Amino acid sequence: MEKKAENRREFIRKSGRLTLGLAIGGLGVLAASRATAGEWVWQIDPFKCNQCGRCATECVLNPSAVKCIHAFDLCGYCDLCGGYLKPDANERSTAAENQLCPTSAIERKFIEEPYFEYVINEELCIGCAKCVKGCTSFGNGSLHLQIMHHICVNCNECSIARVCPSDAIKRVKASEAYQVKGSWSKPL
Amino acid sequence: MKSKLIQKSVTVTVAFVAIVVFSWWLVANPTSDFEESLPGKDNRGKGIVIEENIVIGENFERVTDNFEVLDETWPRFRGADINNISKSPVKLKDNFGAEVPKILWSLDLGEGHSGAAIYKGLVYILDYDEEARSDVLRCHSLTTGEEIWRRWYKVNIKRNHGMARTVPAVTDDFILTIGPRCHTMCVERESGNLLWGIDIEKDYQVEVPMWYTGQCPLIDDGNAIIGLGGTSLMIAVDCRTGDKIWETPNPNGWKMSHSSVVPFTFGGRKMYVYSAIGGLVAVAADGPNAGSVLWEEPAWNHSVIAPSPVCMPDGKIFLTAGYGAGSMVIQLSEENGVFSTKVLDEYAPKDGLACEQQTPIFYDGHLFGILPKDGGALRNQFVCVTPGNTKNVIWSSGKEERFGLGPFFIADNKFFILDDQAVLTILRLSTKEYTKLEQVQVIEDAHDAWAPFALADGFLVLRDSKKMVCIDMRL
Repeated sequence: MEKKAENRREFIRKSGRLTLGLAIGGLGVLAASRATAGEWVWQIDPFKCNQCGRCATECVLNPSAVKCIHAFDLCGYCDLCGGYLKPDANERSTAAENQLCPTSAIERKFIEEPYFEYVINEELCIGCAKCVKGCTSFGNGSLHLQIMHHICVNCNECSIARVCPSDAIKRVKASEAYQVKGSWSKPL
Repeated sequence: MKSKLIQKSVTVTVAFVAIVVFSWWLVANPTSDFEESLPGKDNRGKGIVIEENIVIGENFERVTDNFEVLDETWPRFRGADINNISKSPVKLKDNFGAEVPKILWSLDLGEGHSGAAIYKGLVYILDYDEEARSDVLRCHSLTTGEEIWRRWYKVNIKRNHGMARTVPAVTDDFILTIGPRCHTMCVERESGNLLWGIDIEKDYQVEVPMWYTGQCPLIDDGNAIIGLGGTSLMIAVDCRTGDKIWETPNPNGWKMSHSSVVPFTFGGRKMYVYSAIGGLVAVAADGPNAGSVLWEEPAWNHSVIAPSPVCMPDGKIFLTAGYGAGSMVIQLSEENGVFSTKVLDEYAPKDGLACEQQTPIFYDGHLFGILPKDGGALRNQFVCVTPGNTKNVIWSSGKEERFGLGPFFIADNKFFILDDQAVLTILRLSTKEYTKLEQVQVIEDAHDAWAPFALADGFLVLRDSKKMVCIDMRL
């Protein structure tokens, strides 16, 4: 009878230790999961993007963390580039009045007749998507938008995603943070 | 005393700082680090100019004389009547059931968008042979695809969204071609013997259009009619002799577009209407003043124009182009032999019928076309309008049925439409509604299937950027 009472005490003691251990372990797991929350980041699916222009205005950062990138392997290197020149531009030149980009963020370089290369100056790009719209409408779609993760502050709720009319912005794994066309490589 | 001194010192210091700040404000230029975007910053140059000695039509090879002679023709761009409507009585399939279309023959071609012309059992294609680096006029059997003969000449063409992109013009006697760099060649149809060649770029200082020549040549009354730009706006050349019949001056310096010359008779005059870069022009086709300008409309001026003008019997002319240009409708009038034009409407591609690459079809008092990607909510849809109000869409294919830059035409009371990936859609011919009869993939893994269709004796010839195929569409 006395032996039975000792077993009950031992049982309660062991149960208490186990409960405490589980609680501490659970807290550790919870803390670890909080610490690794950054493994998910926001990104634009370029095939869903409809170039509405809200990426430039809705981001909490100014200028936006959304920038245009260029998939060179998709580009046609055209003289008449729908992403660089305004529709029906007076001439195919680098004059400001012919450029579609409001901040002149696209650099046009002559390669050889009839090819031209177009390079995005990320510092000047505001993510307005005007060039993306032009390239998608008249070219191969090599210009497209991406959220740049060396700029993005990874808000819990992306303010652009809230208003994106085509649901093009979603959480993706940080290990696959860029959803690019062609073979463009993400910036260092 | 001491506090007064401090007060004075503070006042002087504040005044001094204020003057310095004010001076800086006056002098400083907040835009000093701005950089002007001026022309020429792309270092556009002429590149390395390679002098080529191009001998147009220099080489010829006949493979066989055997082919099945047939009856019908599709002798040029947009068919015999240049309206993309086949008059063939041959009944065509409007569905393939559970089967896929049977490819009678296929032919690998150089990257491009050049369509076929068909003449009594023979198919003619102007191709660019990337290995031989040559423009090649190919002649093949329509029923077997077997090569009959080829005539070619060396010319260096770089890839630029395709190379060859024109349809030969064929008559009983002649075949006329224009190559990517404006080399014009005329040969005897049956023998393939060379008659003459003209290097338009060199002889008329014509600027080759971007992505190479898209203008399909025209043979009319035995004359080759070519829209130029450069030192002349248009020429007529005797197909037999190569002699120049007339030449239209180009005082405005208009340039060559991808649009093709369209014959049109209005107000008792036959004319050639050409949508150049710079404006729309009509040149007298006959009479004592053949070759002179009858009228011109400089309001239609865009940097890239591919579709041909759609000239309608009441004098309305529908004009459209891509790259944001949109469309224009003009009214042509004639009084005592004098022609005048009036712009009836002009609008952006999102506001009404517009086409980027293909020419709309005028049929039964209606216009049909595929809107471009910048066509707003109706982008890439096949639509029907009337010439009187091209902004009012009578019907469209709907948001689930979008097409691309591919061709469309009418045959056997049906519309045939090819999308960019060579999916063939067959519709019931109607001005009332869109009724799809069939939709089927014709060429696997196809890309940029933009070349015009050709149809004769029930054989439909179409292509993507690298392969041409023939389907037996007979019931």
